[in-house]
Amino acid sequence: MPTRDELRARLFLFAALPLVKIVREDDKIMRTITRNMTGVVQFESKDSDLAAHLVFANDTLEVKRGKHEHPTVSFIFKNLQGLNDFFGGKPALPAAVKGLYRLDLIARTVPLLLSLKLLMPNADPKKPEKRALKVKLLIYMITTALSQLNKAGEEGMVKMTKTSPDRIYQWVVQGEGAPSAYLRMKAGKTKSGRGVYTRRRPFVLMKFSDIEGAYQVLTSKAALVDAVKKGYVVTEGAMEYSKEIGLRMQFVEELLA
Amino acid sequence: MAKGLTWTIDDADHMTQAEIYGEVLTKLGYEYKNLVALTADLAGSTKIGRFQKDFPDRFFNVGIAEMNLFGMASGMAASGLLPVVSTFAAFAALRCAEHVRTDVCYQKRNVKIIATHSGTSFGQAGTTHHCTEDLAVMRAMSGMTVIAPADAYETARAVVAAMEWDGPVYIRIGRSFEPPLHKNMDSFDFEIGKAIKLREGTDITVIATGRTVPGAVEAAEMAANEGLSVKVLDLHTIKPIDVEAIMEAVMETRRIITVEDHNVYSGMGSAVADVIAASGKGCVLKKLGLQDEFSIVGYPDDLLHYYKMDADGIVEAIGQVMKMDFEADEDWEDEI
Repeated sequence: MPTRDELRARLFLFAALPLVKIVREDDKIMRTITRNMTGVVQFESKDSDLAAHLVFANDTLEVKRGKHEHPTVSFIFKNLQGLNDFFGGKPALPAAVKGLYRLDLIARTVPLLLSLKLLMPNADPKKPEKRALKVKLLIYMITTALSQLNKAGEEGMVKMTKTSPDRIYQWVVQGEGAPSAYLRMKAGKTKSGRGVYTRRRPFVLMKFSDIEGAYQVLTSKAALVDAVKKGYVVTEGAMEYSKEIGLRMQFVEELLA
Repeated sequence: MAKGLTWTIDDADHMTQAEIYGEVLTKLGYEYKNLVALTADLAGSTKIGRFQKDFPDRFFNVGIAEMNLFGMASGMAASGLLPVVSTFAAFAALRCAEHVRTDVCYQKRNVKIIATHSGTSFGQAGTTHHCTEDLAVMRAMSGMTVIAPADAYETARAVVAAMEWDGPVYIRIGRSFEPPLHKNMDSFDFEIGKAIKLREGTDITVIATGRTVPGAVEAAEMAANEGLSVKVLDLHTIKPIDVEAIMEAVMETRRIITVEDHNVYSGMGSAVADVIAASGKGCVLKKLGLQDEFSIVGYPDDLLHYYKMDADGIVEAIGQVMKMDFEADEDWEDEI
């Protein structure tokens, strides 16, 4: 059984951190700051193999799981708790920073990391484009987080996936260019994906009316019953399972809080 | 509401598919003045005795001479009449295959064939009176429309629709006390070539035809108790086949079970397989029916169970198919 710190670290490293790529694609300022960056920036902890690294090369950014053999910069935390505090927005510093001399790389990476503060419950942007970005990040993060919980062996998620036939749980925000993501599960395996799964009909479909409707629901500004009444969200498919996936989503929220 | 049809569920309780067909035909006799009924010494068994009573001059019993039945019907159609031929499926599709092909289909004659006692529905009469090949034979005949209604109400709607359908039509019905599927005549839409969606589902689709449809619905309900979401299609028209409904099922569930009281070779399941193969889309397909064998002798319901075409058999097949992979996509890395 994974510990709570292990689960949290997985979610931060494998579900939240990869979203810097989305921020960079969406945000012109972030693209400018990180233009032509080269190097590998890693996040790791002394007490665990859980790690992730950002690879900047040829004006692209890739986020990889695991440890890089020769990172340019590595933020090494004393333990997973420290790493979790750092990503959770609490005052925390790494025990060591390898490659500290590459201040340019660090200085340009930090704004990217800070951009993830948009995911925090207290971040309530007013600009429509920022609200749209927050919705996109949340939808992508939730689906990946659910899959990562299963991969980590989290009891509740494993119980749900172990006997599941090949099924799709789909989240869709209506409107042109609005984000969508899905979670596929089959006999204990899961995969999160972006967009609409087109190979079959979803087993459960959570359809948000528009960006604002999704924003209200995903940030818990509107209680689910009210959200349904106001038409922010419509759920189609197996009701028992949509309730179950809703509970797992709540668990993700608790872990990241 | 189908024209002139006013039966309720109470009537259906004591009316078989064949009985209600006889009732409908008589009603239609008043509406279509050119309608004539033909049989080969089976007026009683095919339940068209009432038509004979009401329209003695428009009823023709050719005696035990089934091939003549179709030759005469073809000639009558050529002279502007609307012939409805009633006989056992085994005679219509097998004994008279050449005559149906050459006299009716090749001549593009507007003849309606009502084939009773199809599949294993005449179970205790033995293999000679079963007919588990007719869908294969009839769907291979150019220009033939092939329908297998699920219950008495659907039979009534199919017979009415056939009157307005241009060209030869083969309607395959049973003989025994087929359970009613629909609540009444108005509780469903019926259109030749359009499958009836009886139940929505996302895990698997059961496509059934004829008297296996009620079992498919029951199986879906049983599977739902196990947490499975089963879609059910009543594919009453085998030709022209409802490509849209089949492909919707493929894309929605990627797992299909077909059920037919017929040999699995070249019947409804094969027709569905043709559609899927032509689409280029991948899906798991399992065909329930007689697995290339002649039926044993027994009561119709027992035969459905024996050949796993009833609810129990369909549930068993659902369990098997749910364990099968429907695609080669085994990449389980999260997209980031």
